Amino acid sequence: MKRAAFLTLLIFFFNTVSLWGAEAKKAIEVFPSTPFYQYIIYETLAIFWIAIIGLIVIIRMKLREIERVQKLGLDAPVKENNEKQTGGDNAP
Amino acid sequence: MKINYSLITRRTFLNTLLGGWLLAFLSGSFLALFKFAFPTLGKEPDFVILKNVDDYMNIPPNSIKPFAWGGKLGIFFKRADGALVALKGVCSHMECNIAYKPEERKFYCPCHKGWFDETGKNIKGPPPKPLEIFEYTLEEGKLIVARKGVKVELPKA
Amino acid sequence: MNCQRLKDWFDERYDIAPLRKFARKKLVPSHRYDLWYYTGGIVLFLFVLQFITGMLLSFYYVPHAEHAHKSIIEIVTKLNMGWFFRSLHHWGAQLAIFTLFVHLFAVLLLKAYRKPRELLWFSGFILLGVSLFFGLSGYLLLWDERAFAAVKVATGGAGAFPLAGNFIKAFLRGGIDVTGETLTRFYAFHVAILPLATVFLMALHVFLVQIHGMSVPLSLKDAALPQEPFFPNTVYKDFTVWLVILGIVVTIAVLFPPEIGLKADPLAAPPEDIKPEWYFLFLFQTLKLFPGDILGLNGETIAVVLVAAGIFILFILPLLDKKSSREEKSPLFNLIGIVYLVYFLVMTIVGYFS
Ligand code: FES
Repeated sequence: MKRAAFLTLLIFFFNTVSLWGAEAKKAIEVFPSTPFYQYIIYETLAIFWIAIIGLIVIIRMKLREIERVQKLGLDAPVKENNEKQTGGDNAP
Repeated sequence: MKINYSLITRRTFLNTLLGGWLLAFLSGSFLALFKFAFPTLGKEPDFVILKNVDDYMNIPPNSIKPFAWGGKLGIFFKRADGALVALKGVCSHMECNIAYKPEERKFYCPCHKGWFDETGKNIKGPPPKPLEIFEYTLEEGKLIVARKGVKVELPKA
Repeated sequence: MNCQRLKDWFDERYDIAPLRKFARKKLVPSHRYDLWYYTGGIVLFLFVLQFITGMLLSFYYVPHAEHAHKSIIEIVTKLNMGWFFRSLHHWGAQLAIFTLFVHLFAVLLLKAYRKPRELLWFSGFILLGVSLFFGLSGYLLLWDERAFAAVKVATGGAGAFPLAGNFIKAFLRGGIDVTGETLTRFYAFHVAILPLATVFLMALHVFLVQIHGMSVPLSLKDAALPQEPFFPNTVYKDFTVWLVILGIVVTIAVLFPPEIGLKADPLAAPPEDIKPEWYFLFLFQTLKLFPGDILGLNGETIAVVLVAAGIFILFILPLLDKKSSREEKSPLFNLIGIVYLVYFLVMTIVGYFS
């Protein structure tokens, strides 16, 4: 369906090609076509995911640590000084 | 409840790890944003293609003809002895455009009174380096000026 | 990294103790449906992402009928990472609107709109409208054939409104037809008017959430739910979700950069099988259901009036749902919610595959 529409479109524009000049002939490159850049892009994407997963793992570790402290019963207001240093991690 | 000493250490460790990782992650992401925010426009090309070849090849000796090297000034220069040179018309000191003085057979930079000789060597004034010389080739009636050592890949017309 | 002196300097001038106390007191109930709490946060995150990428894109975009299309091609083909950020902006928008609908239906079915949270529902509903208009106006900025034709259809639909229809249409289009005037108009909406409205409404929305706290579904209101501190537990969980969402949008943006069609030509025939963006499909498909005229009346007008009525009823639903405002079960409105959801899903899917 989509392809058919595209083809009709293409044929239509080949007829009016004088109006559109060379632009109508090729699809606009919305993604780098050089293999080199493509490789870099996919590699960067992989690194990006590794970074995200790393962050998630660290956040989970922190969460567990916080929950452990909360379970220890330290939820009662902690000394001001201590709280300031740790950014209120042991709230509430 | 008594807190073990190790508890604090673990928290500090985790905080540092989280902060450091977050910093690296954010700076990586923002680097991409910054790359996009600053356009490529100022970037110099590796080569340019000039159409009307004869205009450049047939200039009289001891004269120049400018061409566009990306957004910068490029100069075609025929020495008094007839040798043709393509060079970047940008001073090596602080990137002012240079001018050719035919009477003295030298390039002159008006910004801080820098001088270059016919071969592009810096001879007087503040410029620290010689001018950049390009290579040029003739191909299919087109003149291709390229930075030294750059492989020219012509886009399929 | 402690900056004690800076903190003291600030504390001497501003008393943030109540804020700090509030932050420490804020609790989030955890239960079987608490997953849906995250949808609001995801929308917030995606909007921030949209703001950032949008600001950058506006560095390069030229809002003029002659240059718009070309400037986008230039962004995509010439600029550093331009293809990526346009793609990210596109997919971020798609995902934001998708999540908004999920958020809407979650709130609807869990009856989080009930007293005292009516204003939250209203502000959120308007935000959804703003977002859809964001989508429509942003789509036209591409100024390619499909966008052009789709916006023509969409604004034409508004024209079928009785009485005010033509006025609305002319206001949207900046004339009787979709032209370069429409482009500048939509640009103004997209980059100035709607963002301001969004920031204001979102601030209100989030502020109201702080006042009321998280809503607990009716079925669970008597259960003793474990509470979790918002700072830092929920915040960390929110971050985790946002990171995953970020990864997903970035991946989609890299793998499926959206196409750019040919430059819009008001004189050319529109390309075949024109469809609006998916989030308008349910409207589009509803309009198609109605015959040209019903008992001598204009069918399109009737359709538009009915759709408007349906949307309006959804809008004032918290006021109609008396039972749940008294914290009683109201099965009727359960049903109404499900009908809305099913209608939306079916019409979108039918519209997509027809
Ligand atoms: S810039 Fe040419 S001499 Fe300083």
